[in-house]
Amino acid sequence: MIRTLLWLLGGAMLGGIIHLVVILTLPALAEDTIWTRIAALKAQNKMVILPQVVPGEPNPLGLDPDVAYGVCQIDLNAGPAYLSGIMPDAFWSVALFNKQGIITYSTTNRDGIGQTLEMGIFNADQTRLLAQQQLDIAEGLLVVESVDDDIFVLVRLAPPHQAMRQRFEDELAKVKCGIKTPAPAPA
Amino acid sequence: MRFVIHLLLLVTVALGIGFGLSYYALTDGRLFGAAVVGPWIAWPDVGTAAPNPYTRGHLTRTAGLQLGLSEGLQFTATTDSAGDTLSLACTYRIAGKTPLATFWTLVALDADGVNLARPGEDAAMRSNAIARAHDGAILIYVGKQLAPQNWLELTGTGNFRLVLTLYDTAVFSGFGTGGETMPSIQREGCA
Repeated sequence: MIRTLLWLLGGAMLGGIIHLVVILTLPALAEDTIWTRIAALKAQNKMVILPQVVPGEPNPLGLDPDVAYGVCQIDLNAGPAYLSGIMPDAFWSVALFNKQGIITYSTTNRDGIGQTLEMGIFNADQTRLLAQQQLDIAEGLLVVESVDDDIFVLVRLAPPHQAMRQRFEDELAKVKCGIKTPAPAPA
Repeated sequence: MRFVIHLLLLVTVALGIGFGLSYYALTDGRLFGAAVVGPWIAWPDVGTAAPNPYTRGHLTRTAGLQLGLSEGLQFTATTDSAGDTLSLACTYRIAGKTPLATFWTLVALDADGVNLARPGEDAAMRSNAIARAHDGAILIYVGKQLAPQNWLELTGTGNFRLVLTLYDTAVFSGFGTGGETMPSIQREGCA
């Protein structure tokens, strides 16, 4: 009897180890990830408006039907990125995601930035260069450092009424997003 | 022979605990990083830059667009306040106060995340589009049967879950009105 209990205890301990291995390795082993889903939207360096949630239809990204979404995928290896536009007068927020779907930065228009969305996104090396140049940062410009080079930006915009949704989505689509290429050297 | 039986027992217990506990941790999760307020469950760590391993697993499993820490927080309920599974055969009454937030939305989803609102009706109920009591409390009826006041009309059969998304909220930040209160979910009746 005691021997059987010891075997059961061993099984429980082994189960605990399996549990830890599953939890820790799951993010690396998953094939259908948020990154593959976003990549399928072909939103490299441009703002893509996500289709509205329709009752009865699949909603793999877990979108809110009352919110408009714009997504832009960026590779900071190609240079620092920017996000620029004027948003409609309603609640909006912006979030930076890495490949694992972890949000590395987020803010909302309630943080005092009003309707202006001006954001510069830099990796660690680019941030260091920016600091060395000691440039004046324009008022209202959000400077964000990203640990990862492969990221995507998600802008949420909440129209007060669904009748305004199309107009709000059109405004959101006008937001410019992409890599800031260096100006050509003077001849 | 006894050794083989013991070995089979060990393997069965190990696999059962290992994978069963992992599945539970990434679905219900209330013992592993999820916060529980009445029937509502949220993952407060989900919008942070350094989530714990269980929240990372949850993020991987859902593969959805989560809310950042400053954007808001999402609560999910799969049972009513009595602990019974939410069923489309029943009507539910959601009553009480929500935490401080700029606005919130309420949707009903099936197990695959498909919105269960009746086609042609609003897919979500929104905080600025409902009638409230004088003290700001909400009273929302959810189900297929005709209901008074605020009614989230659903369609379909089987079980469902409610998702309450709070935008720009102070919940769990310590800056709320004290005590994280969430509305109760009471079963009214079943067809």
